[in-house]
Amino acid sequence: MFLEIKQIRKSFGQGENRVEVLKGIDLEVEKGEFCVLLGSSGSGKSTLLNIIGGIDTADAGDICIRGEKMADMNEKRLTMYRRKHLGYIFQMYNLIPNLTVRENVEVGAYLGERPLDVDELLRTLGLYEHRNKRPNQLSGGQQQRTAIGRALVKNPDILLMDEPTGALDYNTSKEILKLIEMVNQKYGNTIIMVTHNDAIKDMADRVVKLRDGMIRKNYKNEQKIPAADLEW
Amino acid sequence: MKNPLNKRLLRELKSEFGKYAVIFLLLTGTIGFVSGFLVADGSMIIAYDESFEKYHIEDGNFCTQKELNRAGRKMTEELGITLYDNYYVEEELTNGSTMRIFKNRGEVNLACLMEGEFPDAKGEIAIDRMYAENNHLSVGDTLTNGTDSWTITGLVALPDYSCLFSDNNDSMFDAVKFGVSVVNEEEFESMGKNKITYSYSWKYHQPPKDEYEENDMAEELMEKLAKEVTLTDFVPCYKNQAIQFTGEDMGSDKAMMEVLLYIIIVIMAFVFGVTISNTIVKEANVIGTLRASGYTRSELICHYMMTPLAVTLLGALCGNLLGYTVFKDVCAGMYYGSYSLPTFETVWNAEAFIKTTIVPMILMFCINYLILWQKLKLSPLKFLRRDLSSKKQRQALPLNMHIPFFMRFRIRVILQNISNYVVLFIGFLFANLLLMFGLILPSILNHYQEEIENNLLSKYQYMLQIPMDSLNSDSKLESFIRMMIFYAGVETDNEDAEKFSAYSLQTMDQKIPSEAITFYGLEEDSRYVKLDLNTDGVFISSGYAQKYELKPGDIITLKEKYENKEYSFMVDGIYDYEGTLSVFMEREKLNETFGLDENYFAGYFSETEITDIDKEYIASVIDLDDLTKISRQLNVSMGSMMNLVNAFAIGMYMILIYLLSKIIIEKNAQSISMTKILGYTNGEISRLYIVSTTMVVIVCLLISLPVEEQIMHALFKEMIVMMITGWIPYYVDPVIFVKIFVAGLVTYVVVAMLEYGKIRKVPMDAALKNVE
Repeated sequence: MFLEIKQIRKSFGQGENRVEVLKGIDLEVEKGEFCVLLGSSGSGKSTLLNIIGGIDTADAGDICIRGEKMADMNEKRLTMYRRKHLGYIFQMYNLIPNLTVRENVEVGAYLGERPLDVDELLRTLGLYEHRNKRPNQLSGGQQQRTAIGRALVKNPDILLMDEPTGALDYNTSKEILKLIEMVNQKYGNTIIMVTHNDAIKDMADRVVKLRDGMIRKNYKNEQKIPAADLEW
Repeated sequence: MKNPLNKRLLRELKSEFGKYAVIFLLLTGTIGFVSGFLVADGSMIIAYDESFEKYHIEDGNFCTQKELNRAGRKMTEELGITLYDNYYVEEELTNGSTMRIFKNRGEVNLACLMEGEFPDAKGEIAIDRMYAENNHLSVGDTLTNGTDSWTITGLVALPDYSCLFSDNNDSMFDAVKFGVSVVNEEEFESMGKNKITYSYSWKYHQPPKDEYEENDMAEELMEKLAKEVTLTDFVPCYKNQAIQFTGEDMGSDKAMMEVLLYIIIVIMAFVFGVTISNTIVKEANVIGTLRASGYTRSELICHYMMTPLAVTLLGALCGNLLGYTVFKDVCAGMYYGSYSLPTFETVWNAEAFIKTTIVPMILMFCINYLILWQKLKLSPLKFLRRDLSSKKQRQALPLNMHIPFFMRFRIRVILQNISNYVVLFIGFLFANLLLMFGLILPSILNHYQEEIENNLLSKYQYMLQIPMDSLNSDSKLESFIRMMIFYAGVETDNEDAEKFSAYSLQTMDQKIPSEAITFYGLEEDSRYVKLDLNTDGVFISSGYAQKYELKPGDIITLKEKYENKEYSFMVDGIYDYEGTLSVFMEREKLNETFGLDENYFAGYFSETEITDIDKEYIASVIDLDDLTKISRQLNVSMGSMMNLVNAFAIGMYMILIYLLSKIIIEKNAQSISMTKILGYTNGEISRLYIVSTTMVVIVCLLISLPVEEQIMHALFKEMIVMMITGWIPYYVDPVIFVKIFVAGLVTYVVVAMLEYGKIRKVPMDAALKNVE
């Protein structure tokens, strides 16, 4: 199995204020799979994504990527692990304001051992003609595409997305989802996306629903529909 | 692949041009000045050190009452030294100064010609360059003593007078009222034998290995000479202030300059640190994303450190360039304004480069690295959540609800920016210290002059020329006769005159260079020094007490200058006389203590001029002019530097306040923007943010004043103790505090007005853009 998550537990606070956010999560994701983590606010989906991404730690349990256990890694190895295997996309684009679109993507390329061709990727993302613009000269959709380009360019094994369409309008969100679908098909990266948009589950290979820190549903979507056909 | 983050560097510099430009200018100016100073200092020290060989500087000199006879000369030859006649004549010139005139030297202490020509005819003279500058004299001018006159043909530097001390016991040299010069042989011979001081320079055939050996050799020579002739002065080279003071002072200035540079670099590093901290807060999400994507902490530390290091490097390189060109001459000019140095050649100074480029870079690197390491050690998630406190979130400080809302808001602004204000306070402290240093010296010197004037023991203090050999117990009869003649000649009918005896001993403090303490033996009911001297111990002057931290009950131990005989006295009290280092006791007791004749006296105190004593018995008349020699010279040599220091301090003020206010405004841009959205006017926002900083500035200024006063007091004392013999009391004119406060406030008001303009420009969407 490409990604194995075993009995992950996580809580915040102490004493009476202690809140258990993840209560023993078990999950397996195959290579190239597009997995959607669904759930309402406070269900623990972002926390799970952060633990998979190595930017947060679990109180208990194991995460293995291609047989490599994350619990055994110190901070330096975790950084290298993220550098080598992961690409992150957030709801806010977090682009560097005084770098151009191309340079923002290059920031990601710098980290990859075998990065993708930046210009070709920019063409794929529909950003080539905007490559010399600064983030503040772009629309929200274009900024998010730049952020996707930055995460994708190093050709990571896993793309982690935390509400990537959360700040976008319907049409732009759809454009981004089509792009993510295309990326998944073209580059074959495993994608784990956190969203509270229920409609997105229809384009995913695997759907995981969380509630109160536990997986309520985990199934393979046999009737995938293209992102272009999604409605919400 | 090159790190694409590096592309931000130039853009960052461009977007924050104003901020980086002022830091760059401050660094360039400081590094330039210090580099110029070190280069000039290094080159001059080399020139000074080489001058010992180049100009064949003596190993010592002594003066005798009569010309040395053949036996005396033979005796010195046997001791392994070569003697050189270095006779001189002193002339009181019409411009009120004393000129010591030597025959141009051919073998030892060779003169360095700085301008014009050496005198080669009668009536011609080449005078010391610095004396000429201080008295506005140049080649072609004429000097006169009223009867004779001399045409100046050249300006020279005499290597045995690189510092113009007329007497080795003087507290300070005097390049205004004392000068040295050379004339040709014919002119010197014409000056008359009765005026000549028989001064001899010596050189060892076998130079001593170290100062101990030199000391032993000098003492042996002195002892043997004392048996042959009457010595009026004996100064080995290593104790000769006129030769050594320059070299020692150049070294101490160097250390002061280096400390100044490093303090400024540290302050600038903290300014960068505060800037970087704010950038990190601003870019927290980007940092979180980069860290989550796999950028290591070291990569980000390197990235954020590049700007300060680049600015420092650029500042250091430009500073060094200026140092070697412009500032070197400025600093050399400062030395030439204080010392009579020979010509020098600029020497490449690797030490200066290391100290002004490498060390600042290392300091900047270390301080910024530590700040960044501390700031970036948070997890990527914390950055993404903008939770940048490394400590557990503390509860907000509860504020009394009776405090008006605006005031509570301001207190919150102050609490939020506390780290910036700490840097601001340190900056203030330093800038104020510089400013205080610039303002305090004239005030101290004026106060010193006033004190001397008000506390003169008497208007005239006549020192009589007592035959030294009359104290020699080996020739009692001759001594007796000499003393009888002397006493008959020095009696006066002036009713104001009061006899005193005097003696001089040397201090033996381990830390402070040895110096002379004058003992006054006073009449029992002295009109001039009102003390009850009927005690076992002695009274000391307040200047002596302050310099050596003495109090009643302490024991002072002093020694004879040319012998190892020691004396101890108990301090019974302190007499308010700040300007000199003196000890007071009864005349009878003094004479007895030092084995002098019971009727011995050294001179007179008098309120009116004494006219009935033969001039040949008067060695000197100590008046206000003599006692204020220190303040006069310090005014001349440091006056111009003080203006430079003041300008620099004000510049430093403005830059620091500008930078830190700017940082505070930037840090609060989001809140300012939000208050704008809520409907607050620019004026109200300024009252909230600028008034908070104004309050802190006022508090910082007020708190910093007493702290600075204490630091300055300690620094000044250290400086006076190490720099001069004698004592100048510390004094701060209260007006100086007002000046510093007003200077700080006015500077701040100018910056605040600029900042008000900035607040008006903060866009309203700044709040919305940054909020997650």
